Amino acid sequence: MENTARRNIDFSTIIVRIIGYGFIGLFALCCLLPFVLIVSSSLSSEKAIMESGFALWPKEFSTFAYEIVFRNPKLVIGSYMVTMGITIVGTALGLFIVAMTGYALQRSDFLYRNKISFYIYFTTLFSGGLVPFYLLVTQYLDLKDNYLAVLLPGLLSPFLIIMMKAFTKSIPYEITESAKMDGAGDFTIFLRLILPMSTPALATIGLFIALGYWNEWYNSMLFLSPNMDYRPLQLFLYNVITSADFIRNSAAASNVAPQEIPLETMKMATAVVATGPVILFYPFIQKYFIQGITIGAVKG
Amino acid sequence: MLKMRKFLVLFLVMLLSFTLVACNGSSKTSSENSKSDPSTKVNENGEIDTSEFVTITMMALGDKPTNGQLEKVMEQVNAKLKEKTNAHLEIKWIEWADYMTKYNLTLASGEPVDLIITATDWLDAWGNAQKGAFMDITELLPTYAPQTWGEVSEENWEQTKYEDKIVMIPEDSYTQWVNHGFFYRTDWAKEFGITEPIKDFETLGEYFQGIVDNKPGVIPWDTPGTNVTTAWGYTTSYSDAIELPIATGVFPIYWAQSYDEAYNVMSPVFEDTFVDYAKLMKDWADKGYWRADVLNYKGDTRALFQAGKTGADQHHTETFSGLRTQMDLKQPGSEIDMFAWSDTRDNLISMSVTHGATAVGAHSENPERALMVYDLLRNDEEIYKLFNYGIEGVQYEIADGKRVRPEGYDETKDSFASNFWGGRVDKFEIPSSDKWEGVSEMYAEYDKIKKPYPYGRFVFDSTPVEAELAALSQVTAQMVPAIAFGKAGDPEKAVKDLRNRLEAAGYEKVLKEIQKQMDEYKKLVEGN
Repeated sequence: MENTARRNIDFSTIIVRIIGYGFIGLFALCCLLPFVLIVSSSLSSEKAIMESGFALWPKEFSTFAYEIVFRNPKLVIGSYMVTMGITIVGTALGLFIVAMTGYALQRSDFLYRNKISFYIYFTTLFSGGLVPFYLLVTQYLDLKDNYLAVLLPGLLSPFLIIMMKAFTKSIPYEITESAKMDGAGDFTIFLRLILPMSTPALATIGLFIALGYWNEWYNSMLFLSPNMDYRPLQLFLYNVITSADFIRNSAAASNVAPQEIPLETMKMATAVVATGPVILFYPFIQKYFIQGITIGAVKG
Repeated sequence: MLKMRKFLVLFLVMLLSFTLVACNGSSKTSSENSKSDPSTKVNENGEIDTSEFVTITMMALGDKPTNGQLEKVMEQVNAKLKEKTNAHLEIKWIEWADYMTKYNLTLASGEPVDLIITATDWLDAWGNAQKGAFMDITELLPTYAPQTWGEVSEENWEQTKYEDKIVMIPEDSYTQWVNHGFFYRTDWAKEFGITEPIKDFETLGEYFQGIVDNKPGVIPWDTPGTNVTTAWGYTTSYSDAIELPIATGVFPIYWAQSYDEAYNVMSPVFEDTFVDYAKLMKDWADKGYWRADVLNYKGDTRALFQAGKTGADQHHTETFSGLRTQMDLKQPGSEIDMFAWSDTRDNLISMSVTHGATAVGAHSENPERALMVYDLLRNDEEIYKLFNYGIEGVQYEIADGKRVRPEGYDETKDSFASNFWGGRVDKFEIPSSDKWEGVSEMYAEYDKIKKPYPYGRFVFDSTPVEAELAALSQVTAQMVPAIAFGKAGDPEKAVKDLRNRLEAAGYEKVLKEIQKQMDEYKKLVEGN
């Protein structure tokens, strides 16, 4: 079988393959090179970057940028823990709620599904704006300096609900119906039948939620003040950079002694610190991700 | 059809309610003291009763020190505050990460903050005063902050009034100069035969040419193309125009005619000096005073200057005073000087006294005690030094009348900053050994020629011309950098282009609006 296949390769297929592999290879390189550049510049000395620009291989090796970022290891580890905690709890909770909402909204025997769908969809078009959001969280929910302020807003996103809804629609209603005949309640149906059948969608959506929590800094910036001991990683890193930038550029800060701060290499180092774990984690769920992204394309 | 109409009605109702909510936000400066029983009262003998212990919160901008030093310092500060006013001070930090958004949000949320660091030129103090974020403290000041009340002059109090009520305390006794100019190497200048201090653009050009001729590998001014300050510099050096506090992108196009005609709005772009400027910059670009790819370049001029790789750096006097001592370390034997824009024709306007200020929050529960605490922070030498510099022996030591780092000082473990931008005073400042001594001479020179800032209370209402201002900003962002670095082709044509496009973007309309508001402001100022 294999032999025939090899014999049958004609000229045009070869051309297509050369172009295809070449193009994909180039594209992969385009994705890879910036990352290599980031890692390499985070490991070079600021002086080398000043004088000869960024390079794919560090001209002068130095770990000074990392030393500054990790100056207070307790803080870095603490913020890692916070981010991981929020990501794990948020992803688990978020996945569950999104899946439930998505499933419920596509059930044809759910009377108000269109009205509720519209209500969810409407908020993507018109939102209250920043000030009401801030007031809601700080004054009414009283969640200032509380990790919940970061956790809650990320749980449900209309986009993910729509995705989930589309996917669960592809599961035949007959399955639900037959389970009902056998005496299963709605919640059992959801837990025992729908969830196991939606793994690809769950993996994809889970990844979206997890990345969202991992990269989250804006809500943390708004609601978590420095009075907290540990704050999410991205905010911590962002503060390392802005304060360094500020100390260097501001002479109005006359009480702050100007000091050597390798700003360029430090930016790169924080990027590596922030993305590192995601890169380690990604290969394990990549297969689900590839599967999941085809939702709605061929199934149905 | 019916569904569609329903949807439309719903949409309109929501839109309306949004606008209503938005309008509601800008209620009047609240002057009513909502609470019925203040914790601080004046008894019949005229004594202030502080028997009830209160916590005063202060909103400050800056990154909270994470090494534990802040807590140690605050413990000492608070011990003194408790003894003197029976109050405890707690700082609420707004960090530099997106501070503008968070600052305005926190004020808009109506949190009961007692003291608020603010500023009219970089922290939107007037905007917040308009929205009623600050308390009217006119009546409270003489009683609860008597020292401050006496120290700030009548005319400086005038600068802090919104609708005739004092809404903030100015940081008016603290000298800092943020007037810009070029820093250059006098040791090199002497090599090129320039023995006098540089005081105009022509001599600066000679200096740059000297570098091109004598210092291979050194770019005279190796700057990123985003720094268009020469446009300010040239305007200040060759005309009497003074800048108005109206932002139009990378370069402010609206200025006042001169200090004597401070209420006559004009634009230097439409004067001949701007053509001369464009010509000079084209000439400089052709001679290679900066790199050819300057507009895309992102290098750090200051680091290059310190490394001896460029002949000039551009920033303000405060930066210069720190840079002088740095240069002695990085390039021993080098000498630097500053060509300030005001050197050419003494066109120097002092900074607004509300470049730093402290306000009392509209929802403060203890405004009286807050003012008492502020009065101490500003006027009690011991507390002032603790709060601004930290603990003597840990954060600093005094040697020959200057602040130095104690032996064994470790930046990571021992550094401290309270970021008190709102009420520093010269009388208690201890000069740092990092600062160049000569700066006081520079200040003295400036003091001779400076004119008071005329627009301290000018609150420009940009709503009628919002769209035009955005369009003007677009035009300046697109065209001014190219002109400022001689990359716009024929300079005369480039300036003509710029003028045409500004006019198309609504230059005249905005000018009229500013002039109208300026006339009203003039009445307000001269009426007093």
